[in-house]
Amino acid sequence: MPEIKVTPLGAGQDVGRSCILVSIAGKNVMLDCGMHMGYNDDRRFPDFSYITQNGRLTDFLDCVIISHFHLDHCGALPYFSEMVGYDGPIYMTHPTKAICPILLEDYRKITVDKKGETNFFTSQMIKDCMKKVVAVHLHQTVQVDEELEIKAYYAGHVLGAAMFQIKVGCESVVYTGDYNMTPDRHLGAAWIDKCRPDLLISESTYATTIRDSKRCRERDFLKKVHETVERGGKVLIPVFALGRAQELCILLETFWERMNLKAPIYFSTGLTEKANHYYKLFITWTNQKIRKTFVQRNMFEFKHIKAFDRAFADNPGPMVVFATPGMLHAGQSLQIFRKWAGNEKNMVIMPGYCVQGTVGHKILSGQRKLEMEGRQILEVKMQVEYMSFSAHADAKGIMQLIRQAEPRNVLLVHGEAKKMEFLKQKIEQEFHVNCYMPANGETTTIFTNPSIPVDISLGLLKREAAIGPVPDAKKPKLMHGTLLMKDNSFRLVSPEQALKELGLVEHQLRFTCRVHIQDPRKEHETVLRVYNHLKGVLKDYSVQHLPDGSITVESILIQATAHSEDQGTKVLLVSWTYQDEELGSYLTSLLKKGLPQSTA
Amino acid sequence: YRELHTFELQAPTRLIEWARGSRVCVAGYEQSGGNEILQLIPPPRLQAKETQGLCPERDFKVECGGFSKRPVYSLKHMPDTSLLVTSGPPDSSVQVWQVSAEDSDVIKSVGTIVTENSTGQPWAKIATISARVPCVLHGSTLDSVQITEVELRKNVYTAASQDSEELSGLAFLDSSTVLLCCARGRLCVADVRQPQRPAQAVPVPAVPHGERWCMGTLCAAQSSGMGSQPVARLSSRGLVTLTDLRKASEPLALAQARVPSPSSGAEFLCVSWAPALQGCLAVSGFDGTVHVYDTQSWDSSGREAEPTFVHKGHALGGVGGSEDPPLVTAHTWHLQKPRTVLSAASDGSLHVWDWVQP
Repeated sequence: MPEIKVTPLGAGQDVGRSCILVSIAGKNVMLDCGMHMGYNDDRRFPDFSYITQNGRLTDFLDCVIISHFHLDHCGALPYFSEMVGYDGPIYMTHPTKAICPILLEDYRKITVDKKGETNFFTSQMIKDCMKKVVAVHLHQTVQVDEELEIKAYYAGHVLGAAMFQIKVGCESVVYTGDYNMTPDRHLGAAWIDKCRPDLLISESTYATTIRDSKRCRERDFLKKVHETVERGGKVLIPVFALGRAQELCILLETFWERMNLKAPIYFSTGLTEKANHYYKLFITWTNQKIRKTFVQRNMFEFKHIKAFDRAFADNPGPMVVFATPGMLHAGQSLQIFRKWAGNEKNMVIMPGYCVQGTVGHKILSGQRKLEMEGRQILEVKMQVEYMSFSAHADAKGIMQLIRQAEPRNVLLVHGEAKKMEFLKQKIEQEFHVNCYMPANGETTTIFTNPSIPVDISLGLLKREAAIGPVPDAKKPKLMHGTLLMKDNSFRLVSPEQALKELGLVEHQLRFTCRVHIQDPRKEHETVLRVYNHLKGVLKDYSVQHLPDGSITVESILIQATAHSEDQGTKVLLVSWTYQDEELGSYLTSLLKKGLPQSTA
Repeated sequence: YRELHTFELQAPTRLIEWARGSRVCVAGYEQSGGNEILQLIPPPRLQAKETQGLCPERDFKVECGGFSKRPVYSLKHMPDTSLLVTSGPPDSSVQVWQVSAEDSDVIKSVGTIVTENSTGQPWAKIATISARVPCVLHGSTLDSVQITEVELRKNVYTAASQDSEELSGLAFLDSSTVLLCCARGRLCVADVRQPQRPAQAVPVPAVPHGERWCMGTLCAAQSSGMGSQPVARLSSRGLVTLTDLRKASEPLALAQARVPSPSSGAEFLCVSWAPALQGCLAVSGFDGTVHVYDTQSWDSSGREAEPTFVHKGHALGGVGGSEDPPLVTAHTWHLQKPRTVLSAASDGSLHVWDWVQP
């Protein structure tokens, strides 16, 4: 049976490091190539040796698809393409292609320059890797080769995030990457058509969560910022360059406008300027509202938010600063943090997940005395808050997506197996599809039922329609024909037509059987007896007695001869063609039973 | 508000019950089946007694879930066990479930307590108490009240009544006394050690008939003895009466809650005492609001009382004007945080709010 094989190399059952291998109809596709932010050694990269022990990856893989620019989905790409070795095409959307290299370079700088790592990809590798990228548009069908095609769908979540449909012939897989089913301030919601893939691979990180409403979350965030600013404190919001930062900017801008607040809001320069530039560039990737208001006022042209200068951190008075990087592990946000940490009037709001080992993670765990470079101890007196604004699909969102796409099977990645049993049953019960949850390195095989279209000749169709009652549309009907496979087409034709088309000669098969009957009379009398007997029994059939002394039953021939050695026995030769097999065997067994005693 | 959290459940619930380890249970009540029973872990923010300054998560987590074909109208956790009991139409049987959070997150059905002549009866009201042997008190009418041992399904008590009046609620006052509330308002107290003696009745105050009543008591673990906390009864017209069971002949207090009229039916009437605030109770089920009252200022006159606080969140958060405004289906008090209430409405919303004393 045809099958689709899926092996998660990362994000089977843990968060971080998404990388999934899919084998469909002989094609091999790698979905995402993420890095695990929690490890500092080789464990941060997916285990590529699993793909092929020897032999080049370029030969084995038909393409690589990247869903969006978050590092846990694309962070290992330069390592994979330049250090492990892959020269085939890498597909991603235009915004992802534009933004990916920036994030990769930023992360490289921090890992190599600040942490002094050696086994890491270089700037040149990032550039070489991006040369292999082919950018795609939404809803554009891209032919990877003659048989493999892919199509991107809008996924929400972050700018440029897409869900991909991979299709070979009539088998298809949809990979969601990270997606969001509810629109937010700057991005729309994910959407897919009723493409009915054989398999839908979906993330389930937030499947067991019932999220607090956005309104309450935002209300709380604004309350905290407002309170801090009102008492003269400074608010530091460490952000990743792209993603939630834009969302929070719009939120604060609107709030400042509404409340007529005067305290300055700063956005640190460099990376983030480019980020806003990209949002403006890819305005079609943002949500409806932004596109509509873009004409009157560029949503990313903020009135109250200005560029930050390092010196401003020392200015007295309240202010709000967005600074990178997001986990306070280095750079500007860490610098500002060190300056402000000692004052309890100040506040730092962590807006996202912090990897273990970073300052962000430490303060969120409650540590208030941190060891900095040069053995300096930093006492943290400022308030530490955490506000998660990440946009992922929850259980309701997953069900919605499945309802939209109507897959035949579902595979979940990114969650913990034990805690997904309920969701698995829920999906199976509601949609009557199988739901799989493989672990890292575990291969799941899904059997598909591809439908193969076959053209049926008009003559054959007419012939079948003529015999028997009108067939029930729901019941399968048995019919005989010849299947001709030429080039890539399948046709069902009558045997005669097939013989003609193929230039073959028809062979006829004939069976002959000898039945011995005890009858001392003359041959022609025996024949008469047989004839009358058969005529009486086979009332619906055409039984004829021919002048030459033979009997025909439909097209079956019966002749009688005397046995060469025994005059009392007659030998009946029953002869029939292959097509009349059934009737022939019936006649034979009937005659073997003997003739009735009475004669006509 | 001091705190307000709003959540949206996939399906509306008409019960909010506390389970072991600060878990909250909700369940769907769709007639057509496919209902989910969910055991949720509240966000850390809402678990602790004191509001912590630093709480990373604000979301409820679904710890386990189960599937029920029948609508779940009532759910009670069996104390000291990992069992749950539920009930709902179309009959008065009680379903037993096992919550095994360790190796799987599915709540499994482990059996049914079937009562005699249960088909066609209204759904059973249920109550549980912490006891040596897990038992459940259940029944849909006065004459069908019984206590059944859950594990062996053994009946240990049957009420002696001949009256088939429908019940709207029942509760354990202590391990040997049960309190039954009839739909028409009458309260009955029965001693389970003496099943032959008929229950002692407490009449309903003189009001026009045709109203439905429900009751609210503090659960047996919280109150110390039968009489320390009066029993509150709420009618479908908003009348609240407080009765001290030691002096049952006269109501302790009588007041009219401010409810819209005509009222939208008595399906979701709910009245409950705050476990940590003396004399404070909450009322819901008339519209999209939950009212909090301080009963210490009430007398027996029956005039309208002023609520201390009104939670309007459900009514405001509802979908556009064309649909019916959401109706609050259930509410319950937080067991540790004195002013925190959880409420659910017919649009699937679940709110957790901490009100400020004005």
